[in-house]
Amino acid sequence: MGAVAAAQPLLIGLLLLWSAYGKFKAPDQADRTALPTLVGESRAKPVYRTVATVEALLALALLLPPSWAVEAFAAVALSVGFTGFLIYSKVVVPEASCGCMKASAKPVGYRAIARALLLLATAGLATTAAAGWWSAGAGLLVLVVEAAAFAMLSAELDRYWLLPLRRFRIRLSHPYAGTASSTTPLVATQRRVILSPAYRAVDGMLSSDIHDYWDDEDWRFVSYAARYDGRRATAVFAVPHQDSTPSAIRVAVVEETTGLTLYRPTVLATA
Amino acid sequence: MTATMDRRALLTRAALGATGLVAATAMGSLAPETAFAAGAQFPDAGQPDPNFAEGLIIGRNQDLLQVQGSDGRLHRIQLTGVTSVWKLRPTTIDQAKIGDGLYARGVLLPDGILAAEAVWVNIVNLTVAITSIGRNGVQLDHHGQKVVGHVQAGTTAAVYNGTPAVSDLSMLKVGRHAQVIGAWRPGTNEIDIATIYTSN
Repeated sequence: MGAVAAAQPLLIGLLLLWSAYGKFKAPDQADRTALPTLVGESRAKPVYRTVATVEALLALALLLPPSWAVEAFAAVALSVGFTGFLIYSKVVVPEASCGCMKASAKPVGYRAIARALLLLATAGLATTAAAGWWSAGAGLLVLVVEAAAFAMLSAELDRYWLLPLRRFRIRLSHPYAGTASSTTPLVATQRRVILSPAYRAVDGMLSSDIHDYWDDEDWRFVSYAARYDGRRATAVFAVPHQDSTPSAIRVAVVEETTGLTLYRPTVLATA
Repeated sequence: MTATMDRRALLTRAALGATGLVAATAMGSLAPETAFAAGAQFPDAGQPDPNFAEGLIIGRNQDLLQVQGSDGRLHRIQLTGVTSVWKLRPTTIDQAKIGDGLYARGVLLPDGILAAEAVWVNIVNLTVAITSIGRNGVQLDHHGQKVVGHVQAGTTAAVYNGTPAVSDLSMLKVGRHAQVIGAWRPGTNEIDIATIYTSN
């Protein structure tokens, strides 16, 4: 147990270095955290930088000999501060990001709080150490497990292990493998209509979005409300399923009350 | 239902050219001025567009909707048989329900009612990253906010690399960025996906 406790400062030190590096690299991240609410807009960035400096100094103290008991207690105090700040963020400014290790817009989640608690536990364990981490020996092996736990709780690292894992699972069996069908989606038809000369011929008359659509044998029909010479009318496009040339699309403007076709462009310019 | 079938039959015949064309001169002037005079109402500079409304439906009396705009304005929107209604797909006017959000475009009548020509219910346009794909939906990350996208068989379409839309969603990949047009499920962080634009 003593060896495990002695090993902890190595892990804490590395984590704090990573954290301080992330803060120094992207100081603008301060504005996305709950700091502006907590200490005021103008002081957010200096406070953020101060925290980073404290982290870096403490990390170096933990990593480099000699080992003083006070270092571990300082780490405990810092962890308590992190945990408290994250809980405050979650409660008071739920949309604020964590600002922990890396620039990210993600709001504080339970994983971030769990990670801060784990850091607190590690720091607590470190206070019982009687020697430096360089004399921990086999205790260092425990750090591998702990580091893995930290990695799993870090949303910043998801893209290195969680997303590839999900990608691999989907390669084995895609949940939507059976969705392909021979029916053309309406959005594909709509795009063909909009790019057709028939649409250009009546574009100025259309007053609505797609009102109705249906399939009949080799054609798909799409209707729009339209105005023709001040009269209410319906523009109906006929889109062939087989022929994909834009000029194959036909259009008619119909007055529904009388059933009369008011307008039907016959020769459609394809230019 | 038969009315719809008759309508479609008439329009089908018209589009395919099986009906006669009425002579244009039989209907009066075709001069562009008269065509433009109808429904011409342009917004004043700096003023809200009078022919547009958006907000939450807070009341519905038959086909007249009371809508609370996000800027606090109240709108009255009249739906008619010729109003196009989009709610995940083109649908009928009875689908605009209390609690839904909408965008409406139409003509503002003198009594302050907007006669809607086109209405889009609960429509959202999101830029997202795909974080997970499961049987019960696609998990999306919208600038740090979690959104669940549901796939509706027969409606959801995908556009890969800008090619024509297909119903095949098996090329969706975890980690890719995407743009999603969908219908929000009111009061949740869930949407039904109409079209997802992504790369494969």
